[in-house]
Amino acid sequence: MSLYAFSGAIELGLAYGLMALGVYLTFRVLDFPDLTVDGSLTLGAAVSAVCVTKGLNPFLSLLPAMAAGFAAGTVTGFLTTKLKILHLLASILTMTALYSVNIRVMGGRPNIALVGMPTVFDPIRSLDVSPFLASNILFVILVSAVILALVWLIRTEYGQALLATGANPKMITSLGVNTNFTVITGVGISNSLVALSGALIAQNQGIADVGMGVGTIVAGLASIVIGETILGGRRIAVVILSVVMGSVVYRLAIAAALSFKPWGIAFQPSDLKLLTAALVVAALVLPRFRDSLRRKGGKAARDA
Amino acid sequence: MLKVRGLSKYFARGTANELRALCRLDLDVRPGEFVSVIGSNGAGKSTLLACIAGAAIPDEGRIVLDGTDITGWPEHRRAGRIGRVFQDPLLGTCASMTIEENMALAQRRGRRRTLRAGITRAERARFREALGSLDLGLDRRLGEPCGFLSGGQRQSLTLLMATLVRPSLLLLDEHTAALDPRTAGLVMRLTCDVIERDRLTAVMITHNMQQALSYGQRLIMMHRGEVCLDFSAEEKSRLTVQDLIYHFHAANPAVQGAVSDRMILS
Repeated sequence: MSLYAFSGAIELGLAYGLMALGVYLTFRVLDFPDLTVDGSLTLGAAVSAVCVTKGLNPFLSLLPAMAAGFAAGTVTGFLTTKLKILHLLASILTMTALYSVNIRVMGGRPNIALVGMPTVFDPIRSLDVSPFLASNILFVILVSAVILALVWLIRTEYGQALLATGANPKMITSLGVNTNFTVITGVGISNSLVALSGALIAQNQGIADVGMGVGTIVAGLASIVIGETILGGRRIAVVILSVVMGSVVYRLAIAAALSFKPWGIAFQPSDLKLLTAALVVAALVLPRFRDSLRRKGGKAARDA
Repeated sequence: MLKVRGLSKYFARGTANELRALCRLDLDVRPGEFVSVIGSNGAGKSTLLACIAGAAIPDEGRIVLDGTDITGWPEHRRAGRIGRVFQDPLLGTCASMTIEENMALAQRRGRRRTLRAGITRAERARFREALGSLDLGLDRRLGEPCGFLSGGQRQSLTLLMATLVRPSLLLLDEHTAALDPRTAGLVMRLTCDVIERDRLTAVMITHNMQQALSYGQRLIMMHRGEVCLDFSAEEKSRLTVQDLIYHFHAANPAVQGAVSDRMILS
């Protein structure tokens, strides 16, 4: 793997790490498999790109992008809580609707090029640092800030209620929490992080494209399970850190897979979704498989 | 003080399978009164508790707690005044969260969840003290997840959590039914201690006739969605399980099998 590929993989890992943190908030904290993210990643990219092309400061453009992501999340939350649509289906509906919304946001076009436009990376690139490092420095700063904010949020009264909403909704209702509120706002916050991630990716790569969100949820899940495997741990700060680490390792693994040619067969980038899906299936099934092996082992020991 | 007036609840209303779980039920519980409710399966005990707690919406009738009509209040809003312990020990606490985190959630029952710290140092000290009163050694395990506790420990913790902020009304839905007899006895004694200490108003459902006779100041038997027998503390003190069965059949001569084996034997 070249230094260029390595640095690029870290960059992607950190950028998509923000998305993975959003997915963690729904999938792990709220126990809510939220496919909205496939649409809200693009939404964040589209909103930010439009704002930048209209002359808004690229840093400020992140705010409307996050707000749009939050709104998308609350729609899913509303569909599932107030209208009692199954959470998975509710998120698929929002995701599908967002495809049309995203093209509208981009003025009827499937993509917006940001070539030559100002981006959040300009100030740091104008400093005299290696181009391999420039974006990464900014990403590390941003991701650290979001990690700190999330750890703080989870430790607040609201955050604790979020955790309990996912773990035991009946109990937390009996302790006076309106779970409709926690689900709607929680999915909203999650999608605002995903939209932030999309906005940064668009600015970094110089394009917002309607297809860029496809497979977001799977990449997010892959990051979460890889992170859990590497770091483990129960402390909330460790868990949140592990999600970002998982995202970086995931992108590095992809970069490695692309440079690896077993039996002369080279992977091409379009194979990645298949590989990722297989990886997530393995990660979800292996713990259960391991448990059943252990059970069989225990039985054999008793029988002996 | 709890006032229930003309409470009716139907399931599958308007279909061939319509079931009337509560039938114009009236019930008054005075402040500080501890009422046991018995009755066979399908008598409407759990539905009554669900309607009071707000988990079920009654079709007719009113529920008034401390002079406030709470009939239209959503469940989470009523939680500010009502403490609950469920039958399933797994339901009362969050297995993945620590003991102190669970207690901090209970400490905020009925309050808005803000962006302030989810748990404070002063609270930790208070929780340790409260857990010490259980005498289960939990005061040394504040940082452990509740999933590590046994059913009896979790049920004791749930009881503590339900009463951490004094509730106007404590609802106990067969909260010892899933425990072994010895643990059930411990949890029951703890329940009485807490109710006595804080002079709580409580309604307890039980399947166990002996438990209903031994604990509480008043005993109510339900059948087919109605209160069919109501004994005061004085009357109750003279009752035996045999009397209770006799009374029940006398009150419901047409009813066969209303007293289940489980009520007599357990």
